[in-house]
Amino acid sequence: MEKQFEVYIKQNELLLYKICRIYAFTDTDRQDLFQEMVIQLWKAFPKFKGKSKFSTWLYRVAINTAITGLRKKKDFIVSYEPSQLPVQAYETGSIEDEQWQQLSYAIDQLSPVEKSIVLLYLEDKPYEEMEDIIGISQGTLRVKMTRIKEKLRQLAKKIDYGT
Amino acid sequence: MELDDLKKNWKQNIPKKTTNTDIMELIQHKSYGPIAALKKAYRRQIVLMSLLPFILLLGQIDDLSKPLTSVLFWTYVAFCVAMVIFASYNYRIVSNMEGMDAMVKDNLEQQVNLLDTRMKNMLTGQKVVMLLLIALTEIMPYFQHYRMLDKWHSLNPMIRYGAYGLLLVFQYFVGKWKFKTKFGEHINYLKNLVKEMQYQ
Repeated sequence: MEKQFEVYIKQNELLLYKICRIYAFTDTDRQDLFQEMVIQLWKAFPKFKGKSKFSTWLYRVAINTAITGLRKKKDFIVSYEPSQLPVQAYETGSIEDEQWQQLSYAIDQLSPVEKSIVLLYLEDKPYEEMEDIIGISQGTLRVKMTRIKEKLRQLAKKIDYGT
Repeated sequence: MELDDLKKNWKQNIPKKTTNTDIMELIQHKSYGPIAALKKAYRRQIVLMSLLPFILLLGQIDDLSKPLTSVLFWTYVAFCVAMVIFASYNYRIVSNMEGMDAMVKDNLEQQVNLLDTRMKNMLTGQKVVMLLLIALTEIMPYFQHYRMLDKWHSLNPMIRYGAYGLLLVFQYFVGKWKFKTKFGEHINYLKNLVKEMQYQ
């Protein structure tokens, strides 16, 4: 079972990195989140019966882990405070396009629920699958997506990147 | 720039890998999530409360008949048993929160319900323990530890009951404050997420 799990995770590793990218800001936090997600996936793996796609199941566990929060020292939730982060924290990807970074910074300002919707949207998931992962009806998701786009537009305008 | 324009970039962008990517090694690690921490705390409580009566007996090893005939000792034992039962119950509640493979909304709702139940149970438990302690202080000296009758019980009943009242009020506020700072913030965070998911 361990080998099978490893193969599945390796195949979907990129998804986990992207979730870490969206929910954690520093390398240490991303490492912690990645580790916690793998542990939770391993714990839940015996219950995976293949009723849904593996990636759908993986998204559920990974997003649940990311949203419910890691625990550091004695506090309950990691203090994910994007506004306190230095600009350098965003210069991580291979894309150095300023607009990408602006929008990326704007995504960091969203709530954990909004982030999960954006994440699945960027991954081109159909609304039906998004509903299956998040548990919000397709109609509501569509309305939320429209609002999030508008919110991101406003946030990106506000961010005077690099100053 | 629109979100839709980002899709291509997002797909092509390969995020920086974390330092440890050995899956087999990672699953050997312990979870540091809030649920794992709560479970650890309850396990510790169960072990500690199970050992406490024996530790008390060890302290009086020279004359075991003394503690074994003391009402106070058996009250400790009853208290420890109650705490073990309570911690086991809470452990079970927290274990139910572990399944992370439900839909995100369902998972959050379940966590909020379980944490709320657990917090209410703990607050009730604290009140019950305090009331039992007061009852014990009032009743026990008539059967054992008679010296208390000349001290605490010789005070004006108004002062005594007033002190109990103050203790209960103090415990009520301290208990609420403690839970609010320790768990309340987390529960509110989860509640807000659920609320956000419920409305358009």
